[in-house]
Amino acid sequence: MPSLHLSAPVEQKNSPHSLLPFLQSQSQQTLNKLYSRPSSCLSIFRLLAPLQQQIIMNLLWLESTISSSTMAAWVVREEKKNYDAALSPLFRLHILATSPIKLALSATFKTSMRQALTGGGTTGSFGVPAPKDDKYPPMGIDELDGYALERWETILHYMVSSGTGQNSMRPSKDVLFLLQQSGLMANSQGSLQITSAGFQFLLHSPHAQLWDLLLQYLRLAEERNMDLVEVLSFLFMLSTMELGREYSTEGMNSTPQVAATHKAMLNDLRDYGLLWQRKPSSRRFYPTRLATTLTSSSPPLPTSTGPSSGPKEGFIVLETNYRIYAYTDNPLQTAVLNLFVALKYRFPNLVVGSITRDSVKKALSNGISAEQIISYLIAHAHPQMRKNNPLLPVTVQDQIRLWELEKNRLKSQEGYLYTAFTSPADYELVLNYARQLEVVLWENAAKRCFFGSLDGHANIKNFIERRTGGNA
Amino acid sequence: MPRRDAEYMEVDSDSDISIGDGTGRKGKGKEKAGDKRKKDKGKGKATEAAYTWEASYTRSWDTVQEDEAGSLQGAVEDWMARGRRRRLLAPAAPVRRTIIRHLVLLLDLSTSMLDRDMRPTRFDLTLQYAREFIVEWFDQNPLGQIGVVGMRAGIGERIGEMSGNPQDVLKAIADRHKLEPVGEPSLQNSIELARSSMNHLPTHSSREILIIFGSLTTCDPGNIHDTLDACVTNKIRISVVALAAEMKICRELCDKTAGQFGVAMNEGHFKDLLFELIPPPAQKALSRAAGAGATNPAADLMMMGFPTRLPDASPPSLCVCHSELRSEGFLCPRCLAKVCDVPTDCDVCDLMIVSSPHLARSYHHLFPVKPYTAVMSIADASVSIGCHGCARVFPTVALTGASEGLSPVGRYRCPECLGEFCSDCDVFVHDVTHVCPGCGK
Amino acid sequence: MDDISQASHLSVVVDLSPMHWDLSAREAPENTYPLSLASFLSQLLAFLNTHIACRHENTLAVFGAFPGKSIMLYSSSDPVSPSAEMHANAYPPFQAVDSAVVQRITAELDALELRDDEEEAPSALVGALAKALCYVNRITLPPSANSKAQANGFHPGVLPDPRILILSVSPDLATSYIPIMNSIFSAQKLKATIDVCQIYGPNTVFLQQAAHLTGGSYILLERRDALLQYLIMSFLPPPSIRRTLSVPTQEQVDFRAACFCHKNIVDIGFVCSVCLSIFCQPLAVCTTCRTKFPIKTLQRLNAARPLLATATATGNANGRPRVQSGAVLGANGGVGGAVANGAR
Repeated sequence: MPSLHLSAPVEQKNSPHSLLPFLQSQSQQTLNKLYSRPSSCLSIFRLLAPLQQQIIMNLLWLESTISSSTMAAWVVREEKKNYDAALSPLFRLHILATSPIKLALSATFKTSMRQALTGGGTTGSFGVPAPKDDKYPPMGIDELDGYALERWETILHYMVSSGTGQNSMRPSKDVLFLLQQSGLMANSQGSLQITSAGFQFLLHSPHAQLWDLLLQYLRLAEERNMDLVEVLSFLFMLSTMELGREYSTEGMNSTPQVAATHKAMLNDLRDYGLLWQRKPSSRRFYPTRLATTLTSSSPPLPTSTGPSSGPKEGFIVLETNYRIYAYTDNPLQTAVLNLFVALKYRFPNLVVGSITRDSVKKALSNGISAEQIISYLIAHAHPQMRKNNPLLPVTVQDQIRLWELEKNRLKSQEGYLYTAFTSPADYELVLNYARQLEVVLWENAAKRCFFGSLDGHANIKNFIERRTGGNA
Repeated sequence: MPRRDAEYMEVDSDSDISIGDGTGRKGKGKEKAGDKRKKDKGKGKATEAAYTWEASYTRSWDTVQEDEAGSLQGAVEDWMARGRRRRLLAPAAPVRRTIIRHLVLLLDLSTSMLDRDMRPTRFDLTLQYAREFIVEWFDQNPLGQIGVVGMRAGIGERIGEMSGNPQDVLKAIADRHKLEPVGEPSLQNSIELARSSMNHLPTHSSREILIIFGSLTTCDPGNIHDTLDACVTNKIRISVVALAAEMKICRELCDKTAGQFGVAMNEGHFKDLLFELIPPPAQKALSRAAGAGATNPAADLMMMGFPTRLPDASPPSLCVCHSELRSEGFLCPRCLAKVCDVPTDCDVCDLMIVSSPHLARSYHHLFPVKPYTAVMSIADASVSIGCHGCARVFPTVALTGASEGLSPVGRYRCPECLGEFCSDCDVFVHDVTHVCPGCGK
Repeated sequence: MDDISQASHLSVVVDLSPMHWDLSAREAPENTYPLSLASFLSQLLAFLNTHIACRHENTLAVFGAFPGKSIMLYSSSDPVSPSAEMHANAYPPFQAVDSAVVQRITAELDALELRDDEEEAPSALVGALAKALCYVNRITLPPSANSKAQANGFHPGVLPDPRILILSVSPDLATSYIPIMNSIFSAQKLKATIDVCQIYGPNTVFLQQAAHLTGGSYILLERRDALLQYLIMSFLPPPSIRRTLSVPTQEQVDFRAACFCHKNIVDIGFVCSVCLSIFCQPLAVCTTCRTKFPIKTLQRLNAARPLLATATATGNANGRPRVQSGAVLGANGGVGGAVANGAR
């Protein structure tokens, strides 16, 4: 399983949402079942690229199919490649019915999407609002934000502090299990330790972090025999709910199995801070900002509005002399900075440190890449810094990259050393063969030996055996 | 600071008076605006350091004042209030403005322009502002034309021919190396040059000369007062922005020709003075006795052609202005010659070619939106809870200590449709759209 | 990764003149494709929902132009009324838009019926457009300190490409020429695109110019049964998408002006130097600003005018015709000449 958090630099434009590859790997039946809910259709629609959205919309209200060439006539000639690239994921998501010459939406998707836009149907997929509760006053948005923030930061803070030996609040067992499963933390000597993947995870934007965890959750759900369609559509339903409104768990589960899935999910998502319940057995819940912004990109997270956090936007000022001033009193942000900055002073609202060779080396050895450090600094730069062009001092950026290069002076590669050739002719013959395969990593004619990479070994071995066999 | 308080009191008290009477308002407002500026510039020490050459370093923090809570709100509002008052001072009655303008920009290119009292130098700053001025000027006077004349080494030097195309004019002053300041300036020579280039213009268009003057001397071959008299007879309006100090002759040039004279105190003020000259000048009032029906020699009927725009895909052909092959362009309706850009005079038949949006761009000078009045108290406000333009919700409590001209409840009322607007929309409507969202005109 | 900068703002200006909608709803033979206000509204709401559906951050404002009055029907920065009835089958933001727009339109139309004027005032399209501009200006301004109240739930931020969509059913109104042109120029300054869909009636020259000058798209709706499809294909995509999927534009925009006196389209006009009024023939007195023009000019221009007429008629063949002095001197004598001039 390729782990997703290894792949991307934090802000990469135009790369599809991380959920989409997962959905593409699902079967057509699963997807079709998912598409029967308007809320799921709407959420998936939001995750698509704008061009794909436009293509879907152009087709949505057509009763008949339209030939591909008619549609392509609208495309500006130079942009043909982008258009084709936008189409293929839609086929793989089974949003477009597969047909070489006709373009049409899949029937289920079309019906549900129309329902989502016009507000018809009886699917109840946008969540059943709970009747007004007389016993308790309703939760304010600030309280919900505070709750979500506290939950989420508990998880992150636990990860950061696990390496330092400080004690911090432990998240619940299920969360720990998920962290372990996803490879963000690993069990060593009886205690959980953060892995290099975990360090990289910390530097991601909150939005990416959340989806990373949820993707792991989805994979886990399959193993736990939960109905994947139910899990997904519950998530999508959450994402279309309104912040600050109370919803009821009743009326959306039909079978006992589905009800069990929902119950389990409510518990899990409560631990992550996606929703809030008065008590675990309560039959009503509030979605938090973490949940309602799942399919959007801003406002990023409750971090930005939470009461205890730093200023709304960025907080980091980086100077050309490698000094860093971070206007924050948030222990989590401080701890994250501590990953690659040598902190010097701490004030009530300000942390001062500097980027040194040692501090960056430490981060690199934890598996954090130079690009991640730089993109973290860019993402959290203070508004004052945004006036600069380029945003970060070039010297510092280059130096961080150079420090990374220092680390990469040695590159190891597995392979086989071929020696003890009987004659120069034999040696040349085998070497030429290996060269044709482009697997030669190193050669020394004087010693009559060369080093071939791992994947070429089988072929070379066969070749030598055939040669020796033929001679014999 | 008791003194400051007293000053505020004073302002408050006579603001009440000036709301009531419309006639005494103008002079009073002006005087107060002056007061205000002085007060803003010089809280404490900075009073004397208003001129750049007197200040050893820029004290940008002196121009804004924080209030007790550390917010700059007060300072910003003060600044806005000044803008509002300026607008109120503008005569409400529709004025005749000269729409078709001809302007010669006279740049001082003498050695005195190399002084560094304005950063980076007077010369560089002048060029920079001149460029901004030209862009903005053409935006507001699309039918106007600008020529550029430089004065250096004792002679007037034609830098850019009179042209209606902003790009041409900008190109003329684009290369600063060709304009390197040398020697003494000559006002007379360069004014004569400018005058001769405007001699042939029809009477209905304005003739203006704008002088940016950094020197304190002028070396002239003859009597400059003769030149001045000639300008008066030719109805040429001369405005001067001096960078150093006031000179008697400069003041006289402006006064006698009904131009404006100003001495720039610093970089910002320089720009203000320059940009004040952008709106088309009001035409000199006719004598009342003659009545409105009298023939106005400055008014005339002009023949204009509205060209056909060739689509981008039409076959390329040669244009008459550059002799280049192009597919897009405009056809003169009279002689069917092809020109590249409008507005212009047809090179073949001399017809003035404009497109209707160009005419329309000038209309807002002729039919301005009436200034809104500030609503002074909650009791006076209407029932609407949000701005009539952008629907922003009005504050429900009156702000205390708002300066004169600003509404303490943040409402400004259109005298025509009685709609109430927020301060942002007030500024936007009068400065940009020139359409009242309530009355739709 | 989602890209924040792709959030876009759309202001929709809807022409709600009951008279023209009534005309539009009439069955054949008057209309090949009748379209009633009710069916228009349902398609409009679907379109509005689509815009919000594309991105969580997309903002929307709807303005209605009623006869003699313009009001804001909905904006994303409106506080959501907590009392609104919610149900499980619709996405809450869609419900908010739909109910707000429908409620306010119904209220206004009811009020109009009560008033029962004998003559319907022309719809206040200009006022609505000006309001839309004010609103765009408000959300593109950096949030100032005095707008703290609206910081909750609504983040103005920087909207890269505000768009204004005008859905018009009324013909051009001569009196609104100047305000519309002023609005166009301010839209240019705000870098806002104006899209126009003329749903009923003939082409409107003013709105055509609006779309052309701001780089928007103009559509004269022919198949009015397919309104929604038109809306989605041409007006939904933000400028970034229009670079890939092209939208219909106008091949030719008429930039000739109409004269103020007869509303004739003129090639060569006579313009008052004081107020820039355009006339198709030389007049002694400007009808707009009452300026008297010198006799000499009139003579000169009248002399040049027959030249014009013959020049256009014969393709400029005969060099310099004789001066026909005093042929049509004065303001009212020039009708015959005007016809010749307008023959082109």
